[in-house]
Amino acid sequence: MKGDRNMQRTQRRVGATLGVLALAITGNAVHAGEAGGFFDDMNINFAGFVRAESAISTTGQENPNNQGGNIFNSQTVARTAYLPPALGGGQWGAIPLGVGGNQQLGGLLPPIAFTDEVRRGDFIDADDNAFNYTILRAETEMQLTLTDHWSVIGRLRAIYDPTIYQQFNPGSVGGVQGAIDGGEKRLYKGRPNMFEYIVEGGDKPNPLEWSGKDYLVYFPALLAEYTSGGLNLRVGNQQLAWGQSIFFRVFDVANGLDLRRHLIMDRALEEFSDKRVPQLSVRLSYQLSDTILLDSFVAKFQPTVFGNPNTPYNVIPAQFTVHDLYKEGGYDSKLNYGLRLKGDYGQVSFQLMATRRYNPDGVFRWTESGVQKPLSGLLGTAVNLAYSVKPQLGNPDNAGACSPTLCRLYDDISEALSHTPFEASPAGVYSAREWFNYAAQVRLDGVAGLNAAIEEFAASRDVFATPADNYDQAYAELDTFFIAAGGSMRGHIARQYFREDVFGVGASYVNESENDLLNQMIFNLEVQYTPERTFTNKGLSRNFVKQDEYTVSLVVDKWHRFFNEFPGTYILFQALTKNRSDLVGRHLGGFGGSENKEAPGKSGNSNYLVLGFLQPWPNKIYEIEFAALVDLEGGMLAQPGLRWNAGKSVTVEGFYNFVDGRLWGNPNDNLLSTIDFAEEFTLRVSYQF
Amino acid sequence: MRIRKYDVDYGRRALMQNLAIGAGAGVLTPLSKVFAAQGEIRKSYPDELLSIDAYTKGKVKTGDTINASNVELVKELLDPCIYMQVKSEGRKFRIKKTQTDWSTMFPAEFYEATLRSTKSPGKFDADGNVVTQDGKSWVGGLPFPDPKTGDEVQANLCLSWGRADYNQYAVNDVVLNPDGSVGYDYEFVWSELQTQARMDGKIFQNKADLLRYQTVLFTSTQDVAGSSFLSIWYYDQRKFPGLYGYLPQFKRVRQFPTNQRFEPLIPGVTWFLTDPWAAGDPMRTWGEYKIVERKPMLGAYNVTADIDQPNWMAKVHGGPKGTTFFDTDFEFVPEVIVLESKPTAYPRAPVGRRLAYIDARNSIYNGNTRYDRQDKPWVNFETAFGQYKKGDKVVYGPDGKNPAWSWTYCMSYDMQTKRMSRVRHLEQCGAGYKSVFSADNEEMYNKWCTQQAIQRLGSV
Repeated sequence: MKGDRNMQRTQRRVGATLGVLALAITGNAVHAGEAGGFFDDMNINFAGFVRAESAISTTGQENPNNQGGNIFNSQTVARTAYLPPALGGGQWGAIPLGVGGNQQLGGLLPPIAFTDEVRRGDFIDADDNAFNYTILRAETEMQLTLTDHWSVIGRLRAIYDPTIYQQFNPGSVGGVQGAIDGGEKRLYKGRPNMFEYIVEGGDKPNPLEWSGKDYLVYFPALLAEYTSGGLNLRVGNQQLAWGQSIFFRVFDVANGLDLRRHLIMDRALEEFSDKRVPQLSVRLSYQLSDTILLDSFVAKFQPTVFGNPNTPYNVIPAQFTVHDLYKEGGYDSKLNYGLRLKGDYGQVSFQLMATRRYNPDGVFRWTESGVQKPLSGLLGTAVNLAYSVKPQLGNPDNAGACSPTLCRLYDDISEALSHTPFEASPAGVYSAREWFNYAAQVRLDGVAGLNAAIEEFAASRDVFATPADNYDQAYAELDTFFIAAGGSMRGHIARQYFREDVFGVGASYVNESENDLLNQMIFNLEVQYTPERTFTNKGLSRNFVKQDEYTVSLVVDKWHRFFNEFPGTYILFQALTKNRSDLVGRHLGGFGGSENKEAPGKSGNSNYLVLGFLQPWPNKIYEIEFAALVDLEGGMLAQPGLRWNAGKSVTVEGFYNFVDGRLWGNPNDNLLSTIDFAEEFTLRVSYQF
Repeated sequence: MRIRKYDVDYGRRALMQNLAIGAGAGVLTPLSKVFAAQGEIRKSYPDELLSIDAYTKGKVKTGDTINASNVELVKELLDPCIYMQVKSEGRKFRIKKTQTDWSTMFPAEFYEATLRSTKSPGKFDADGNVVTQDGKSWVGGLPFPDPKTGDEVQANLCLSWGRADYNQYAVNDVVLNPDGSVGYDYEFVWSELQTQARMDGKIFQNKADLLRYQTVLFTSTQDVAGSSFLSIWYYDQRKFPGLYGYLPQFKRVRQFPTNQRFEPLIPGVTWFLTDPWAAGDPMRTWGEYKIVERKPMLGAYNVTADIDQPNWMAKVHGGPKGTTFFDTDFEFVPEVIVLESKPTAYPRAPVGRRLAYIDARNSIYNGNTRYDRQDKPWVNFETAFGQYKKGDKVVYGPDGKNPAWSWTYCMSYDMQTKRMSRVRHLEQCGAGYKSVFSADNEEMYNKWCTQQAIQRLGSV
């Protein structure tokens, strides 16, 4: 019996850990009181679990953001190169360098090199995975109570992924276009890196975290705590969550999210329990009165962690190379701080929140690739030649003085390309169709994206790129450069962070009614307002979008007994609306695009509904769970699940993620098409100790 | 030796007659008068209601062990669940001498307050809440030392659960499967702070609209460890408590609906929030309180806490693996009030009614059986109370001078599934939390009874 063992066990541990100090608590004290001397209350306690988690794909669909799941791997796409306007082509698309255009050029060029068909899968191996996710997790929480006022609390999490997946091997394209060159080699040169979060400069910025390609060990919490009266002070690595909304992060703004493992595909009712990125923080809460609680924090800013390229739940297309400027931009020394007041007055309560923070999600823009590599292939060689014959009369600092047609800014085209956001490497974008398709998928505008990469980079214009006026011109220009690159081009983007002030106000009301259905129904309204929030420009321009954003959520939850034979059902309904971005912060201006058109943007708000319930079995040995997130633009994530509390320290959980981002309308108008690939069944088996 | 004036069934007949006319406790003399005079309980009851030997005409003697072989001799003195456990499940108990010392049946302060109450007992106001004779909130002790109605009996149970201003219980709950194997093994801390109906006669922090704060913190198993719930009880017993919970998965305190009184809080357990104290819900959310019997019974009344055992854990016996029931002594109680009540404010409750078996001497229950909607016996929440004094070992109560008095175990037995939650009041449970009978109330309020407190107590 645990009760028998408990005291002995605790004492043994203290004894082993703290030696003679253990004597303070091993006495045969029978006076059950709280008062005591220093270290009288010393105690150390451990608990934890190990858990095997795996998710099996039920559709066989691969993540389209990864090389092996790219939807163009199996498509053959025709490409045609055109004479650049900078070389007298008029406008992009006017003079094809293929059969027709060649005649316009007097038959100087053989047509075969300037029009082709490309199948991405000829270069990149397609993946075929049964499992999306397989990890072994161990967690333990330790609490060392030193005195009545002081304690140390820690939670250690260790994760191992045996990486049984079929994944992209950059070595497989090592002989093509000179291989992938740019970016952090631990992320872009080798096999997919499951866990290392590496920013530009090579640092791993998360404190108290140790990671490798297939393992992750870190302290989600390790803190010292001081408590006295109504005051509680916590100093150390920790997470902080506010608000009544579940999953909708209206008040929950203190921490970024760690999306490296299972993205947002875990049990909905667990919310972000293991996903908030811990920050080195000082948290002070004070019970101002019986009804009002003040909570505040100062934290070293830590960003949201996205999945690495080609890992199962990566959300950034692998044709991009990301340069995270967290350290180089000096964000690693920035502080976030915030304060919340929460008042409860029986049936009514309120919340007020103000937080000054760096938005942990960050924003993206084009950045110079830094990769010195010429174009290749016949057209590429011609462009290289055309560039080299230009006199080097200009310089990058005064690029406007030099016409790209007449003079060049750099020694050679390799150097010039290194100052564009592109590298002529394999496993990038192979066709204009792919460009537009993926731009729409990630809620960017293909035309604006191209133009920003040209207008904001003199080197792009220096290699004969010119802004496009419309989709067709952009299409022609893109295909031209992809052919000139000798296959594909990879795009380089930088991630940076901006400060914002987030204000929140909330109220809740507990309804009491004679009507059993309405009785004890809790209504909670939360509003977040952020003036001048910075969003990624839909063209990846460095001119970020700055707009005021509001977020409003309504949460209604209650218990209701439907069946005599079963315990009551916990029911949760939520609604959320945002006026500038979607649930995960992507600006609505980039919505609505497709392979065939640039993004018109979405008018109106993004709107979401959540319905969830939890139905325990008698004795709660089984629990049926259900949660559905509906994007009113035509997407749904539905998650039915069963939890079996098997006893004997074993818990088994199974849940199915049904995802459909194509229920109605343009899939690129709703959130869920982004994770449409992740339809899967997840099984978790835990053993507690 | 007393001269027997009446035949052996006189006491029982008298109790039935008292029930019929709505009289209070006691046969020879009203029990309340004897109590007020701090007199001998023997003045209230004839011999056959004070001694199992006399009642059974010597067939069963004090000190005997009752088991399946002889339980028929005392069948009529047992609640049906315990009878079944002894008859079919291998349970046994030893009969100890009937307690006649009032002072051992209460915490010392509560005893004194109840003595004061005999001179000026409580009454119900128009809303059905207990008030003093001058209409103020109740000031401590039993409001109805001589309960004559079901409402009065229930009020005695519900106003001050632990019968002290602050109590903190370290608890172990072992859930046994029908085959006797251990399914779950939980530990938690239960803290309760009275804001009114206090022994000091004051209103804690002037919270005149509240009755108590109550917090439960689970410390193991790991899947529930760090979950904590704070219930804020209103003095108005028509209102549901406010409920705030810290769940590890949410990492924050959320407000939760509080009408889920008939759901297991954690997997496997057979008890619901409605069960403890035979008064787990606000009194006026139940109704139709009715005393259906007054009769002598055998039960685990006035038990002795096993404070001489490691961590106050008792030995076990019976059931498929010999571990289903705590070893305990039973006492022959002269007058047990059998109280029936119904969950009138819960139209969808799975419970049709409950019967609580309450010792008329101190208005504390031992058995608390709920019946399902088909009126089949469902779960018996058996709870034993007694002094924390054994031999020369004493655990002191709030005044630091007198022995503590509290519950020692609960056995929540599901008669339909044969699943048992075996709950023990420990000296200390996981994370080093101790049972506490004496504490600075302000300190405990900050430590356990605020939203900040449950946030802090929760897992990180």
